[in-house]
Amino acid sequence: MPLWDRRRNILLLAGLVLFHVVLISIQVPRGQGRKSLFEKSVFFVFSPIQRAAVGTVRGVRSFWLNYFDLRGVRQENRELKDSLFFLRQESRFLQDRLELYRAESQIRESLERFREELIPARVIGIDSANPFRSLVLDKGSLDGVKRNMAVCDKFGNLVGRTIDPVSLREAMVQLITDQESRVNVISVTDRLVGSVTGRSSPVCDLRYVLASTTGGTVGEALETTGHDRIYPAGLPVGRIAAIQKDPSLPLFRKILVQPYFQFNTLDAVAVLPQVQGADK
Amino acid sequence: MRETVLKDVFRAFLAAAAGVLFYSLAGSAGPSVLVVLNAFSVVVVYFSVRRGEVFGAFLGTACGLVQDAFSLSVFGLAGLTKTLLGFFTGYVTRRIDVSPFPRMGAFLLVMSSLELAAYVLLSSVVRQEPVQLHGGLLLLQPPVTALLGVALITAERRLSARRREP
Repeated sequence: MPLWDRRRNILLLAGLVLFHVVLISIQVPRGQGRKSLFEKSVFFVFSPIQRAAVGTVRGVRSFWLNYFDLRGVRQENRELKDSLFFLRQESRFLQDRLELYRAESQIRESLERFREELIPARVIGIDSANPFRSLVLDKGSLDGVKRNMAVCDKFGNLVGRTIDPVSLREAMVQLITDQESRVNVISVTDRLVGSVTGRSSPVCDLRYVLASTTGGTVGEALETTGHDRIYPAGLPVGRIAAIQKDPSLPLFRKILVQPYFQFNTLDAVAVLPQVQGADK
Repeated sequence: MRETVLKDVFRAFLAAAAGVLFYSLAGSAGPSVLVVLNAFSVVVVYFSVRRGEVFGAFLGTACGLVQDAFSLSVFGLAGLTKTLLGFFTGYVTRRIDVSPFPRMGAFLLVMSSLELAAYVLLSSVVRQEPVQLHGGLLLLQPPVTALLGVALITAERRLSARRREP
């Protein structure tokens, strides 16, 4: 009896294992940031299925909410009107402050351009191996999404950046909590400069702050500096959660950061226009 | 026979799509749910027990690669561990009687624990970084996979027994 007939199942397993080992080997060492054609193909094939399934579920939910479950809409409407009132006041206050620096026409032009370039998107998937690493959005290259565009939640807090693969209608986002993510930040009060690095968990580290540096308090807000040419300057990132001593790295301070974005509010996000001179 | 295989292939495809959908919708329930429950592992163990090692291995490859494509981990890592999970779950089921509820539960718990251990080990070797255990929540993944697998298999057996009754 030939070997294939006797050991067919084991040979099939060996073939599949070999295929995976080769697949893993061609990606090691990592660090190029680009995904293989095969990986992109699997993403291209399955992301429309994901999009369609999420679309159907959201459609049914929206139908139910719009036609059957109208209780509380009046109350919600009143609350939204109140909230709009305060937002208008805030916006007016900010415009007044900006007018101190620039002419009104310039401000209008800049706001209009920003609004046109902003891409609203919905989250259709969360990383299947570790939820603190990546997301999938329902906007892709046909909607103007490119690699290395900053992504914010609906409150304007930084969520992450777009990375490969970006398909025609879907795109992947690397979260700031991912262990390979780096965001250059500055603290709002004491002007501490460092790099927020993820841990693939709910908290991040603020790295490269020298132990000799003074200042920095728990609760202090951190925002982007714009030096990395990916994230525009001034985006809220998170707040300092703890400042500890790290005996293993005595040269630097160990600072923990609590990001502002929350998973339960990540249904809608905004993809920001690419920073001038960003790596495309 | 051919019809049954095609039916199961179609069911497996639907189950994998349900796994993808799970990762789309469960995010709003919080990241802990996504850490504790690996929907693709449940799909692989369920179909491996039903269809045997070869079907389990191919389904493990497909589900693992889909899981890898929707994550930032090394592409092929989950593919490899789920292929092994599918193959050995099907292989053992064909040779040892694991039909009683407690025995099936213990067996699936062992298989999913081995899968998680292989994933953590391979991930540490390939990435040269420790895997994030999320405060120990990741260790709940094997019991949850085993529990859901047993629940699905038991429900399916009861349904088919009821259908056979005159």
